[in-house]
Amino acid sequence: MRNKLNNINLYKLISNRTVFLIILNILVFIIMSLISPYYFSVDTILSMTKYGVVIALISLGQSLVILGGGGGIDLSLGSNISLSGILLGILVNAGVNIWFACILTIMIGVFLGSIHGVLVAYGKLPAFAVTLGGLYTYGALAMVLTDGIPISNFPEVFSVLGQGTFLNIPNQVIFILIPIFIILNWVLNNTVFGRSVYLVGINDEAANLSGVNVEKIRTILFSISGGLGAVAAIVMTSWIMTARPNAGYGLELQAVTVAVLGGIHIFGGKGTLSGTMLSALIITNIGYGLQIANINTTWQLAILGILLLGAVLLNKLVGEE
Amino acid sequence: MNKIISKTNKLTNKFGQRQVAIVILLILEIILFSIITDYFFTLSNFNSIISSSIDLAIVSIGMTLVILMGGIDVSIGSILGVIAIVIGKLLIMGVHPILVILAAIATGIILGGFNGILIGYAGLPAIIVTLGTMNIWRAAIFGLLGGQWISGIPSTFYFLNESILGIPINLIIIIILYSFFWYLTKYRKFGRKIYAIGNNEESARLSGINVKKTFVLVYALMGILVAFAAFTYISRMGGVEITVKRVLPLKAIAAVVIGGSSITGGRGSVLGTLLGVLFINILQNGIILLGIPSLWERAIVGVLIIIAIATDLISTSESKEGTANEE
Repeated sequence: MRNKLNNINLYKLISNRTVFLIILNILVFIIMSLISPYYFSVDTILSMTKYGVVIALISLGQSLVILGGGGGIDLSLGSNISLSGILLGILVNAGVNIWFACILTIMIGVFLGSIHGVLVAYGKLPAFAVTLGGLYTYGALAMVLTDGIPISNFPEVFSVLGQGTFLNIPNQVIFILIPIFIILNWVLNNTVFGRSVYLVGINDEAANLSGVNVEKIRTILFSISGGLGAVAAIVMTSWIMTARPNAGYGLELQAVTVAVLGGIHIFGGKGTLSGTMLSALIITNIGYGLQIANINTTWQLAILGILLLGAVLLNKLVGEE
Repeated sequence: MNKIISKTNKLTNKFGQRQVAIVILLILEIILFSIITDYFFTLSNFNSIISSSIDLAIVSIGMTLVILMGGIDVSIGSILGVIAIVIGKLLIMGVHPILVILAAIATGIILGGFNGILIGYAGLPAIIVTLGTMNIWRAAIFGLLGGQWISGIPSTFYFLNESILGIPINLIIIIILYSFFWYLTKYRKFGRKIYAIGNNEESARLSGINVKKTFVLVYALMGILVAFAAFTYISRMGGVEITVKRVLPLKAIAAVVIGGSSITGGRGSVLGTLLGVLFINILQNGIILLGIPSLWERAIVGVLIIIAIATDLISTSESKEGTANEE
């Protein structure tokens, strides 16, 4: 009897993902403050949000792809960031106007994402295999195109995105991440398309029978993910004013971890984008805290791996209740 | 003319369309590189191709089993690194080679079995589980190495690189392992279970196969094979570096799908995988001989994976034979 009671309490706590994530955020915050005395300061928090934008953007893309179900996952996001940054650099060095180059880069990102989408949705190929191919191909292309040498000499005006602030809030947070989140969240919750995404994720057979174009929806989700990868690359490049051919290395793991920790069910159809945003904050907190505490970032891999496995197990337990 | 067609048809039926295609590609590849570079078609280059293929050849057997069953494993590069460090440290400590072998295999079983338990019993997607463990063990490699390479490992296992009667021991290992696993997958109950699960997990379960247990066993077997590959790696490199085998999982997956196995499971064979391994390593060898920057290699392998799974898709939708195509 008591056992059952405990179970219910625990279940309620973790099933209310927002509460759970906020508590986890506070915990991480306290632990990091204990580890590093420099952690708790307004400056830190502000620069942390800068770092978090890139992760949050690709995690939103990852969440959408996973939500669409059918084993959807986008492992190409990290390499997408590397390649998009390099393409931006090449375009700018070729004399293309920087803002026009940004638009072109986003279009290329959407195009790459749509290729994945077509292969997965219409070609019925497993998403992990297609995007794993993308991961290595784009990563290698970024290296090949630059011989491994970073591209710099971006025009000074470009830094406004990644280094400028508005009312002390970094521009990329207030003008890029938050608008994108609000739009995506609105679309997901208030439009026919958005509701179809959940339907497709929960049961694509039923969605198909009720007249939803499953393939088209999944292709669009992959395209959005590709586009968000390119946007993240632009933000990152503008922040450090350099395009590194390995800029996105390992970020796909972070994106998957953020998505499942935020409550996106790995088999699709369940989860919210606000969960993803809260979870992105946690991962950013951990990453940034470790960096400040001067702990080697390789340990971050272990923490991410454990969080990923813990989070999918948790989702599984909550889902089966 | 008709005779030729019927002959090729026979060959195709016996060997599977994809395998014929890959054999033709392999021959074309060899002819191409032989024409372009003088050094390619020599015995010493052949030996160097074999010795650079051995790690991949061994783990690709495990990857074939995992993919046949409908799974995937991207953690093998990290697992190989951990085992190689265990081997290196024990050898430096002067532990008896037999004990070192046992310890390496045990580590392989534990790390591989851990993946298998999370996938089989906890029901988590294989890609998520192995992505997680890949990074956990990668960090473990970093922790175990403490930022330095392991060097000065005793030459106990260097003999693996030598030859018996002019035949490289690496080649003998490849032949023995591939024959064994070809027999296992084709004629033993355990092997047929793997195909059954890959074709339809639900019906395999209903027909009385213990799916969860088979998952754990196959992933543990993968761990053992990775342990073998760790020995050939140590014997060739004599040390362990931090970035050890980061591209290994991709190459193994590529070898399996290029070799004609379906990425969704149920169809394929270890012999096809051997062809895939040779194809990739000859390509790699040729790229180096031609002086093309090795950065291209990864891009080419990535594109090959996509082409291979796309071809697989086209050929399955054409034939619609399903299991009849299995060889």
